[in-house]
Amino acid sequence: MHKSASFTPEGLYPRKTKLTITISIVIVSTFYLLSSIMTESFLLDLFIKMPNVFGLIGEFFPPEWSYLEEIWPKLFETIHIAIIATTVAVIISIPFSLLTANNVTTNHWLYQAMRFLLNIIRTVPDIILAVVFVGLFGIGAFSGIIALIVFAVGILVKLMSEVIESIDMNPSEAIRASGGNGLQTIYFAIVPQVLPQFISFSLYVFELNIRASLVLGLVGAGGIGQLLNKEINFFNYPAVSTIVIIVFAVVVIIDYISGKLREGLV
Amino acid sequence: MIEFKDVSLVYPNGTEGLKQVNVHIQEGEFVVIVGLSGAGKSTLIRSINRLVTPTKGELIVDGDDVLQLNNKQLRTLRTKVGMIFQSYNLVRRSTVMKNVMAGRLGYTGTWKSIFHLFSNEDKRLAYENLQRVNIEDKLYNRADELSGGQQQRVSIARVLAQQPKVMLADEPVASLDPPTSHQVMKYLKQINEEDNITTIVNLHFIDMAMEYADRIIGMRDGEIVFDGPVSQVSEQTFEQIYGRSIRDEDMRGGMKGA
Amino acid sequence: MTETTFTLPKKPNQRKVLIKRMIVLLVIVMIYFWTFSNMTINWGDIFSMRTIENIDRILPQFLQPAFSETPSILEKMVETVFIAYTGSLAAAIIAVPIAFLAASNMVKHTFWNQCGMWILGAIRAFPEIILAIIFVAAIGPNPFAGVLAIAIGSTGMLGKLYAEIIESIDMNVIEALQASGANKMQIFIYGILPQVLPEFLSYAIYRFEIDVRASSVLGIVGAGGIGMLITFAYMNRNWEEVGMILLSIIITVTIIDQISGFIRRRLV
Repeated sequence: MHKSASFTPEGLYPRKTKLTITISIVIVSTFYLLSSIMTESFLLDLFIKMPNVFGLIGEFFPPEWSYLEEIWPKLFETIHIAIIATTVAVIISIPFSLLTANNVTTNHWLYQAMRFLLNIIRTVPDIILAVVFVGLFGIGAFSGIIALIVFAVGILVKLMSEVIESIDMNPSEAIRASGGNGLQTIYFAIVPQVLPQFISFSLYVFELNIRASLVLGLVGAGGIGQLLNKEINFFNYPAVSTIVIIVFAVVVIIDYISGKLREGLV
Repeated sequence: MIEFKDVSLVYPNGTEGLKQVNVHIQEGEFVVIVGLSGAGKSTLIRSINRLVTPTKGELIVDGDDVLQLNNKQLRTLRTKVGMIFQSYNLVRRSTVMKNVMAGRLGYTGTWKSIFHLFSNEDKRLAYENLQRVNIEDKLYNRADELSGGQQQRVSIARVLAQQPKVMLADEPVASLDPPTSHQVMKYLKQINEEDNITTIVNLHFIDMAMEYADRIIGMRDGEIVFDGPVSQVSEQTFEQIYGRSIRDEDMRGGMKGA
Repeated sequence: MTETTFTLPKKPNQRKVLIKRMIVLLVIVMIYFWTFSNMTINWGDIFSMRTIENIDRILPQFLQPAFSETPSILEKMVETVFIAYTGSLAAAIIAVPIAFLAASNMVKHTFWNQCGMWILGAIRAFPEIILAIIFVAAIGPNPFAGVLAIAIGSTGMLGKLYAEIIESIDMNVIEALQASGANKMQIFIYGILPQVLPEFLSYAIYRFEIDVRASSVLGIVGAGGIGMLITFAYMNRNWEEVGMILLSIIITVTIIDQISGFIRRRLV
């Protein structure tokens, strides 16, 4: 008893935790100061420049609605690019996701090689893929489609292989025990487990592809981004704001539909 | 019907699953295999439909040596040998009907099965078997909507749809509560008696083994240490098999003799 | 002995399910028909001699990155990381009040919850590069425009994730604090913050990973960072430099992913 009486806790946390927190805060703030100086951006500036932003927003309004006529064909091209790219990416991703799942691909080297390759692909931003393919195949929708396929495969294979790794192998044992052959085992025991997830991921990647394909045109890879690029260069802000509003509406609508579909799947 | 002749099994990691096992099981018998976990009960049962492959010996099932069969012959054998699992092994997202139809896959061509072109006869068989285990009203429910006992009954119906000669059950009641356990065992016993299907069940509950078995086989360390009719079995027998005194956890309890 | 034809019991709602499936199938077929009948791809152009020449010329250059450009690329890469850092940090802070507004267990007015969710949803619908275009137009082509685009864009996602975390906290703790007589500020600091802070930080760091990728392309529209070099190199058909830029992005992103993954594992 007398031992504990002489001991007064220093605070709510042990000294080591306090030290870690202090050091972390110092590092984070130092980096912040450094980066603010490097990028010449202080959050205070935001408030100083606010009038500028609002002034510009004035220039954006009112949107030029007659410009819609020109938007529709390019908008549809954008959606088509996303549909084709997503479809092809899903088809490619299924065999590759089997190669990247460690319960299917038992060869350690192949598995590691596939993972390494996919990790590299996922680090490359979609627009840079578009730049490279526009260089190779010329300006147009085809380059955009190829860029989005590569981009989508990187994401899809990772998501799909995780689902395959987490499936319950017991039902496939039961089907084998009742005399089913290899194909029947896959079709009756494995497909029902992974199909809803695969469809859900495909829709999710479609959402991502819609967003990406809207801007790919900035580097000449087809779709509405090309219009956007042109109008910005001509400082035709009312037209730009029409495009931005349409882009906004399309993203909201497609996210909503896709979200509802995905909710219904699980 | 089933005959093990000097069957041994060594797993790739060196563990000996079975050591020189010799057993002869007659048609229509209800055999319960008892033993502690790791004693080789599962290995013995899974050798019969070759979910695991013994490394030595001869294993005759319905006239054929299982160890000599090629893939196609093996699938034919498996249609004759039904299996029930501890964790039911149903496809949880599929309907009860689809799960039971899976029992007909061995009789159905690959393409036909992929487009769900099962014959009317197959569908009738599936439905009748669901009726036998009193779960026909859940026909179009998804398997994951059912309780554990209901799922195990569906898996019995799946096995019956195979029209098997042998029925294997690997710890069929280990995941169920006592009343449901007895219900499932009663169905197995009833099917064994009515259809004369040879039934082999792994159990580690002594009271249930005594209640339902015709014959008990005791295993320890991959060897058969007891084999005889229930009438010869006493508490001492189990103490020999388990190599220790009997504890509460070796009993399922529940509606005994009911 | 009468042979009765066997029929399975009817599926409940079989007609309805069938009709629903037919409609879904029809819609999918129509979408694909619409897509493929409208897509005009000039296959002749794509599989032409020019493409083959391009591949022949570009690929070898691409695979010999211009290491001589390393200093200038490195400088821009650092700027890219700093843009992402400043933007994520700002977003991590701005997102907090909006998330509390949107969380239904913190603000008990459905109207304000909806308001918060709506703001966050609206922000998420704008691709970052479009935000960057707007800010470049407003304050000129400099890194600050990039920082703002990242900050606003990230707020959308972080706010939504934060709100989900807040809604999942254990409210019993708060009840206990109320019972012991704590005021609102004390409840916030002792009851809510400790529950949400580790996950807030983890998501903020995760968002930083995404922002590094995002800020490396913002330069294409003039918002600072390595993206500007991409535009120049691409216009000058300087493929060695594009290759070098790509290489440096891959390395930087990989390193940052590793560091951030390490910190996040220790946080949770």
